[in-house]
Amino acid sequence: MDPLNPLAPPSEGPEAIHKVPATPPVIAPGHTFGTVTDKISSIVLTRKTPLGWWLGFGLASMFTFLLMMSLTYLVVKGIGIWGNNIPVGWAFDITNFVWWIGIGHAGTLISAILLLLKQTWRTSINRFAEAMTLFAVACAGIFPLFHTGRPWLAYWLIPYPNTMNVWPQFRSPLIWDVFAVSTYATVSALFWFVGLIPDLATLRDRSQSRAGRVIYGMLAMGWRGSSHHWHRYETAYLLLAGLATPLVVSVHTVVSFDFAISILPGWHTTIFPPYFVAGAIYSGFAMVLTLAIPIRAVYGLEDFITMRHIQNMAKVMLVTGLIVAYGYGVEAFMAWYSADKFESFVPLNRFTGPYWPFYWGLLACNIVLVQSLWIRRVRTNVVVLFIIALIVNVGMWLERFIIIVTSLHRDFAPSSWGMFNATFWDWSTYFGTIGLFLALLFLFLRFLPMISIAEMRAILPEARLDDDIRVI
Amino acid sequence: MVINETADVAIPELAGVQRRAFAVGAVAALVSAIGLFVNVDQFLQSYLMAFMWCLGVTLGCLALGMVHQLSGGAWGVVLRRPIGAAARVLPVMTALFLPIVVGARHLYIWTHADVVAADEALQHKQLYLNTPFWIVRAILYFAVWNALSYVLNRWSAEQDRTADPRIARKMQLVSAGGLVAYGVTITFASFDWLMSLEPRWYSTIYGVLVMGGQGLSALAFLIVTIVWLSRRAPLDRIIVASHFHDVGNLMLAFVMLWAYFSFSQYLIIWAGNLPAEIAWYQHRLQTGWRAVGVALVLFHFAVPFVLLLSRVIKRTPDLLVKVALGVLFVRLIDLFWLIAPEFHMQGLAISWLDVALPIALAAVWLGCFVRQLRGRAILPVHDPQFDEALGRIIERGAPPRTRTSEP
Repeated sequence: MDPLNPLAPPSEGPEAIHKVPATPPVIAPGHTFGTVTDKISSIVLTRKTPLGWWLGFGLASMFTFLLMMSLTYLVVKGIGIWGNNIPVGWAFDITNFVWWIGIGHAGTLISAILLLLKQTWRTSINRFAEAMTLFAVACAGIFPLFHTGRPWLAYWLIPYPNTMNVWPQFRSPLIWDVFAVSTYATVSALFWFVGLIPDLATLRDRSQSRAGRVIYGMLAMGWRGSSHHWHRYETAYLLLAGLATPLVVSVHTVVSFDFAISILPGWHTTIFPPYFVAGAIYSGFAMVLTLAIPIRAVYGLEDFITMRHIQNMAKVMLVTGLIVAYGYGVEAFMAWYSADKFESFVPLNRFTGPYWPFYWGLLACNIVLVQSLWIRRVRTNVVVLFIIALIVNVGMWLERFIIIVTSLHRDFAPSSWGMFNATFWDWSTYFGTIGLFLALLFLFLRFLPMISIAEMRAILPEARLDDDIRVI
Repeated sequence: MVINETADVAIPELAGVQRRAFAVGAVAALVSAIGLFVNVDQFLQSYLMAFMWCLGVTLGCLALGMVHQLSGGAWGVVLRRPIGAAARVLPVMTALFLPIVVGARHLYIWTHADVVAADEALQHKQLYLNTPFWIVRAILYFAVWNALSYVLNRWSAEQDRTADPRIARKMQLVSAGGLVAYGVTITFASFDWLMSLEPRWYSTIYGVLVMGGQGLSALAFLIVTIVWLSRRAPLDRIIVASHFHDVGNLMLAFVMLWAYFSFSQYLIIWAGNLPAEIAWYQHRLQTGWRAVGVALVLFHFAVPFVLLLSRVIKRTPDLLVKVALGVLFVRLIDLFWLIAPEFHMQGLAISWLDVALPIALAAVWLGCFVRQLRGRAILPVHDPQFDEALGRIIERGAPPRTRTSEP
């Protein structure tokens, strides 16, 4: 690799002779400030909305209406329309909550941790990964909120001095969740918006329509690109990255406490916090790949989201998938080692109990299949990767379902065992949130730059200062 | 060029350090040997702690080396030779494990047939916790670790000699599989050697906790090493503030990881308050051992955490090395906390062997480490990332750093 410009494509030196596979660049060669700006902003500023966008947005909106209908019916009728009941008091609602929250984590990891680790390859995927985080958190929040049954009283969860003299139970992890998730949503939104400001100004300057100039102009908050602006912007962005970093770990740790703090076999185990975090990042990267692969193909962004990004994300998926597999393994071993009959029953029930197809399916999706990512040819084949990523999304949903439902449905006394059966409204609410997520994503793709123009310009060779400055 | 010479030639002081380390090790070992006749049980308890301390640095270095093969980064190029030298102490560590095998009856209560016969849970666990299988597993762990260390170090030497770029790729492949193997083996090794001291107790995060501790021990040790090296030619012109900054950040990350794992384990067990699990904390937190627990919270987490947030400390080798030495010491205290209370449930008890044996083993270990370090060039000049990481610094010839100056 050229020492003076590590971002340049590797030269055809001795490496090529020895057939060492070359690393693809983070941005295809030949781009300048102008071409990058034109390419990304034209997707937003074009007057004609592509037909495919209307079709996709229309379909996603239909599911969003399904969500609204389901939630309206739920408020009218009560949460009895869902299949959960004693002993399975948590089922689809919390499964979906954890699934969505987990998906959000890739965005925060990419935007905050990879920024602090100076990983330049994050640049072209961070914007839409952050957007994905926000939309995923929005979908996640719906489930616990409506599971309270009276969402209009949800503010009781916030500790404030009130005439009823009612305080939340601070020892309950459910209340920690309220703080963790709301902090997460706030910081993610701020981070995303602050990152958008220079690009919003670019759109304001380039917009052909009056409405565009006014709206983007207001959102750009008077950005003129002076060095003062840039200096403060960079400082604010780094500080926000520092604030967001603990959130990558804390949110899913608190989510894992929702289960681990109890004494239910299958829930109460000490590996849960790191194992949940790894699972969250695993599912998050699977979702980023699920979205990035079609988006780059449809919008012709292969120059910006290169095979380098795709391969790196595949590697992150492999690593986190292995950590998740480690979690399953240790849990199963310890269930036996504990010599506790209720603990030992958990894996037995998962492997052979009534939900066995789900458990075997989850092992196939999350552990077996992902091992194919060891092979370079799989990591470089976008079609295969897209399919794997989709399957991992399914697998991670199954994982949460298994953890929640199989632990609850057969706990201690066989007399209180029971089964969970999903109703139409369980499914409609779940698919409804997928519709909401995609609808928001379509709006984002149409109205905001999906790749950070400012940051992409900064990684071009044109933008590199005298390298000596960076050594020290 | 001076960096192509072996460290022995380039840094003549190393021979003296090795000599002194072995001398201290020999004296401390002789003194400790008295303990063998006075109190065998205590000797083995302290020995296990000292052994796990040194093993933590060795395996932590092996694992960090493999991580660097996959992740890249300038920090690893500078650290690669100390990492390799530490991993090459593994055969010695393997031999030093023998006293634990011989003395297993004094350490592990599940080796006593009468105790097992009286306890239903231990009978259930006998399938796993029995001496022959325990020994077979230990052989397997050491075989895996030694094989990884041997292969990676041999290729690294070959890379030095031939500059063949294909070797880097081979090392990456072995490192990827090696990290998986390390994760699995150290998990079960930690169950076998530490968790089974209290055979009724179990915690699924235990392996991860021990892994995090080993990574932290290794980083602290590596920081001490490169600070020492950076004060002498030829590395005084090569290791710059940003290298210290990077490894300082890594150490901070591991301090936080360790705290995160420990706190998670504590919170979950405390909240559950189940008889099988809480016992482990009861005889640690409701006796004189509580002081050690509080000390760990303060000095294994709070103090290094706050200090390592400072950019100045991370970039000033003289300050960073103090934090690293402190971390190395609290790593020993953490192992003390994991091991000693099992044998002194009534309250805090420190033996002179808890001091003598760590000194003996650490000095012997250090002597072996320096001996290994002397055998090779101090920088991996044919590492594929060498030019990117250090090329410009060497070309320009950074000024030799004076003690506290900030470039």
